Amino acid sequence: MKNIVIGRYVPGNSFLYRMDPRTKLIALIALMVAAFLIQSFTHMLVSLALVTLLLVAGRISVKRVYLGLRPLMFLLFFTFIFQVMFNQEGDEIFTLPLHYSLLSIVAAAAVVVFWFMTKKHVRFKLFYFLFTVAAVFAVLHYIDFGVLFGEGTFRVFEEGLSTAFFIMVRLIIIIMLSTILTITTKPTDLNLGLERVLKPLRIVRINTEEIAMIISIALRYIPTLLDEANKIMLAQASRGVDFQEGKLKDKVVQIISLLVPMFIISFQRSDDLANAMEARSFVPGQPRTRLHVLTWKRLDTFALTLSLVALVAVIVVRVV
Amino acid sequence: MSLIEIENVSFTYHGNKKALDDVSLSIEKGEWVSILGHNGSGKSTLSKLIVGLLKPQQGVIRVGGITLSADTVRDIRKKVGIVFQNPDNQFVGVTVRDDIAFGLENLQIEREEMIERIEHYAKKVDMYSYLNKEPHNLSGGQKQRVAIAGILAMKTDVIIFDEATAMLDPEGRERVMEYMRALNREGTTIITITHDMKEAVLSDRIVVLKDGRVLKSDKSENILKDKATLEKSNLELLLPLEIMHYLNENGIENPSLKEFLWQLSLNG
Repeated sequence: MKNIVIGRYVPGNSFLYRMDPRTKLIALIALMVAAFLIQSFTHMLVSLALVTLLLVAGRISVKRVYLGLRPLMFLLFFTFIFQVMFNQEGDEIFTLPLHYSLLSIVAAAAVVVFWFMTKKHVRFKLFYFLFTVAAVFAVLHYIDFGVLFGEGTFRVFEEGLSTAFFIMVRLIIIIMLSTILTITTKPTDLNLGLERVLKPLRIVRINTEEIAMIISIALRYIPTLLDEANKIMLAQASRGVDFQEGKLKDKVVQIISLLVPMFIISFQRSDDLANAMEARSFVPGQPRTRLHVLTWKRLDTFALTLSLVALVAVIVVRVV
Repeated sequence: MSLIEIENVSFTYHGNKKALDDVSLSIEKGEWVSILGHNGSGKSTLSKLIVGLLKPQQGVIRVGGITLSADTVRDIRKKVGIVFQNPDNQFVGVTVRDDIAFGLENLQIEREEMIERIEHYAKKVDMYSYLNKEPHNLSGGQKQRVAIAGILAMKTDVIIFDEATAMLDPEGRERVMEYMRALNREGTTIITITHDMKEAVLSDRIVVLKDGRVLKSDKSENILKDKATLEKSNLELLLPLEIMHYLNENGIENPSLKEFLWQLSLNG
């Protein structure tokens, strides 16, 4: 449970760390929008290269960014495969005749079962998965004897491939950029930056300071509540609740035995905390001075200008 | 005029019996008063009433001449700080520094002054080297010291310790009690809410509460040996006094031993 770290800030020292959180937030949004607007194949690849360059120049370990990408890998490949298989616009660029026979279907099923049973022991799960998909197609293609049920074709179209490519690169760029933000910015600074960036929302009567206070208290209490959850789980385990195993029905009961006390404790805590905050003269919505101030540096002006220029350039290219 | 004046205050939580019943009490500037009582005696309710977290149904509370009301509650909170029981549930900041700053930000203290006060009071409770630490890396005692620093930095006239040592280990408790002594010596008015005789004995005066009423209010030395009052409010004598009592009951006369036991109990 302790391994869950929100924000995943990694201490370090580079120009990305020295940047003002406001700059990073605005630049992130500008570059994300830009990534969505790019429509040319080469521009997309250039952007990907630039973001990678930013990583290297900012002395961020590529491994960490990969770790940020990994949970979404499956989603990325799924969208890719989905687009390739079902988008049937444009020229046909690849055709693979398939044979559905008793033998080929059984063989394909065998490949899947084998994958399912062995995947635990393989290190590169994703590649193994792709290899399995390829193997299934190969089996269906080459085994063309036995009792035939029918024939089919697996076709890949140009449009499908390019859409798949764009979606994937866009997602990778977005994930990389936001990972850079969370790696180089402390949650508290990020929160403060967010508060300042959203300050114009005051016009529509949204108090960003209050929202920032809520986020900061949430951040502060995450470890405390995880600790609490651990304690309750141990307490329940000592009374015979087994959190590791059981059927779905048992799982529900187990989760409830954890959630109910968690809720009650959280309410008591927030009651106490509200008292403590009020006793220390906190009045929601009242002006406060701040210990943390953000300092705008020349670096920030430069970085912000650069990313806004990039956005404008992309828009111009698209419109023209 | 006393610093804190409580006149005929009654308070009832929804539909229950009275938590406080016609309590009158005054506390002088620079005094150290313990509110002693068993669970449910109304002692924590009293502390919440003084800082305006609860509103009395009857009676008047005055702090420094200001009558507590919805309009004055903010002024009164500038005069009275409170340290609560659970060190985890009063830690607002993400780090020690942020937590000490919290009250100062609310009081709209200038940033330079804020930094100065944070460092000064962090040193005072020996937490200076922990300023950038997060609460889950601190022990209960350390968190409680941060809470004390947070109140001290607000420079209140009165500090209420509402069972502030109840959840601490003996070492943490000893330390917090030391700060209470030092603060009181420097002129801060201190109110300790407690059921622990050892803690109460350090104060100048003890107010014994039972079922929401003031059972007795007297100098600590007098309450200390008042077995009848303590028994009535389900509290126990300190161990040395228990022994002394036993000696008396059995007619054992030993003046030097009794003197020794008395001194022992006075030191808590």
